[in-house]
Amino acid sequence: MITTSSKLFYGIGGVAFAAAIVWMIANNGGSGAVALVFVATASIFLGAIASYVRDGHVLSTDTEQHDSAPAAQRGSGRSWFPLGTALSLGTVIVGLVTSPGIFKVGVALLLAMLGEWLIQNWSDRASSDPSYNERVRGRVVHPLEIPIAGALLLAIIVLSSSRIFLALSKNAGAIVFSIIGILVLFFGSVLSIRRGTSVRFVGAVCGVVLLSLSVVGVVLALDGEREQLTEAAEEDHFAHRACGVEAEYSDKHAVRAVSAKSSVAATVTLKDGALYAEMDGYSGPLTSITLQRSLNSSIIFQNEDEGEHRMVVTYGKVVESLGGGVERETLLQACTSLVTKGGQQGVVVNIPKPSFSSTEGFSITVPGLEGASVEVLVP
Amino acid sequence: MKKMFNQVGESMKSARRWHGAAKAAIAVSALSFLASCAKDAPQDTWQPAGPNAEKIDNLQRPVFYVAGIVGVIVFAAVAWTMYRYRDRGQAIPEQTHGKPALEIVLTVIPVLILLGVAVPTAGTIFELAKTSDTEMTINVTGQQWWWEYDYPASGSNIEEFGITAPIVTSGQLVIPENTKVLLRVTSRDVIHSYWIPKLNGKKDSVPGRVHLLRMEGSQPGIYAGQCTEFCGLSHSYMRMEAVVLSRADYDKWVANELEEYTAPAAGTEAAVGESLFIQQCSRCHQVNGLANSDGSLIISAPDQYLVSGAAPNLTNLMTRNTFAGASWDLLTPECRNNVWNADSADFGERYLAGVSSDCLNQKDLREWLRNSPAKKPMYADPTKLEASDGKYRGMPALGLTEDQINSIIAYLLERK
Repeated sequence: MITTSSKLFYGIGGVAFAAAIVWMIANNGGSGAVALVFVATASIFLGAIASYVRDGHVLSTDTEQHDSAPAAQRGSGRSWFPLGTALSLGTVIVGLVTSPGIFKVGVALLLAMLGEWLIQNWSDRASSDPSYNERVRGRVVHPLEIPIAGALLLAIIVLSSSRIFLALSKNAGAIVFSIIGILVLFFGSVLSIRRGTSVRFVGAVCGVVLLSLSVVGVVLALDGEREQLTEAAEEDHFAHRACGVEAEYSDKHAVRAVSAKSSVAATVTLKDGALYAEMDGYSGPLTSITLQRSLNSSIIFQNEDEGEHRMVVTYGKVVESLGGGVERETLLQACTSLVTKGGQQGVVVNIPKPSFSSTEGFSITVPGLEGASVEVLVP
Repeated sequence: MKKMFNQVGESMKSARRWHGAAKAAIAVSALSFLASCAKDAPQDTWQPAGPNAEKIDNLQRPVFYVAGIVGVIVFAAVAWTMYRYRDRGQAIPEQTHGKPALEIVLTVIPVLILLGVAVPTAGTIFELAKTSDTEMTINVTGQQWWWEYDYPASGSNIEEFGITAPIVTSGQLVIPENTKVLLRVTSRDVIHSYWIPKLNGKKDSVPGRVHLLRMEGSQPGIYAGQCTEFCGLSHSYMRMEAVVLSRADYDKWVANELEEYTAPAAGTEAAVGESLFIQQCSRCHQVNGLANSDGSLIISAPDQYLVSGAAPNLTNLMTRNTFAGASWDLLTPECRNNVWNADSADFGERYLAGVSSDCLNQKDLREWLRNSPAKKPMYADPTKLEASDGKYRGMPALGLTEDQINSIIAYLLERK
């Protein structure tokens, strides 16, 4: 009769033996196969001993009991790990067909499920006391289960929240999450004041909130991001920013106020068709500014004119030889988005060459407006 | 009897220990006191040489005196209490708790003292933060381990001081006397801190931020400073000097800085040095006006070789008295004393004379050109630059021969 603990040894022996065959085929023999055969032999030997002594319930010398003694422990209880393993295997297969990411997730799940299943089966037979078995199981797997479960929980919260943020408008997002923050603070305060609240009640509330967050997140993720983000992505706004006069959808939503204004190198204003700069330490408007070489300099553009305008900083050009005597000139530029009247936008430039290196000089201009220019000097 | 002798012996040992500690304390106090008498103390915060530093001095002196008096009273009271109520085997006196009148007095007195300090402190802070009266603006940029100064050709810099094109220099900040200068302090790499103690307090230079610092000198002279934010390996070598010139001398300095580049005469050692400079140094160091044989300007590219993206501009190196982040003097000790110790009337002329071949500190400059990382610790080992993507922090060893060093020095001596 094959007893409970002997199954493990026979299983290990079988797998090791199969692995040895695979190893031999793949590597034309070798010490790895020898080691695996030894593992298989040892495991089968231990399995045979476990079967013979009825998992240690009878003495090896008590030969009469060998056939009649019951199994070591009671049978295992219900487990959902076979179901989880099957689902993980399905994920692996789906991943093989669709994408490497899903495949990797499937493999990770499969390994986790098999590990849990193995430990569950082992702990169920640790003793005849179910509570003791559960404690034994917990001691082995909780150091892994709890952090991983925490990380998954956090991932669900972050992912769901980000989907909600991306779907709602910027203002609505701020309001919704302010309310959520207030509710969390309120609930936490009530819990801290009221002693004796049942853990089940707290768990139930947290569960409902988490479930609601997940459901809303999934629904909004399926519904898609807000219109501006979708259109900006379609226009490839995140990949490049054109410095010409052409209008792009997302350009029209330049910010009305730029943070960290106290530390900018210069604020450039377009007013009545003219461009001028203001810098800390200078009392009046400037038509020429000096920026340090090889230094990140923040410049804010403020549009006080009607219409949409962008600021362009031009700081030289790169000449590439395309072969056959053909050269291509590319202007070195940095620019803001289109800014509507009253709006502001910031740009950071780092100019590695002095301005005298360029025959045209460096400048700040507004495309489409003749004469709107501020000279940029770099020593 | 034996017990009595033991007790006497222990008492004598204890007394000797106390005497030893008292002697050590007196020695430390005396040394500290004597240190304040040092004559050569260029970074002494108690010798203000400009209105901004005087404002700080006017604040710190009364605070120091009050704090000193309070400190002496407290220490004396503690010492007297310790002595008067030392353990002599007497019975523990009756323990009481609370004395409202005394507690109120002991709370009110510190509050009044702190109020007395806080009010003028707040006033001084606001005065030192004022920028509306600025007469000249200078950009100050810190990087490992030197300071760059550039004088923008904008606003009053052009109108009042004739700076018609940007001037860039390093090591020494040159400003006209009795002029309200505003420094726009920032950094190219890590956080540094700019401090010329005799002219004003310190100001952090932070990458991505522009901090404003007033600077004004009342009389011509050189005022030393030191980076006061630990910024890496050679932080202690990151020094700076502010040079205050009379207005007339300052105009001469500006005119000299704006002069066109003059190439060395053909056939001279300096001409050999120029070609060596182009080969070896111009990748990082800019000399304005330096050109190739075809007439095209040579533009350095320190952004390709250095983490900070900048190296000192050497256009007029010999007009300043220091090099390598003001770590060493370009002048010999005798010539240096001649400039540093000049009276106000003669200072400008001596400073503007720059560095001559007779006055050049050959020893330190040669050592620097032979192997700069050996002289000033820098991350300049070409085999250990993985972390910085192949870029240096500071100047690497160039492997120059003595003849090459002679030629480069001859060329640099003409950079003024």
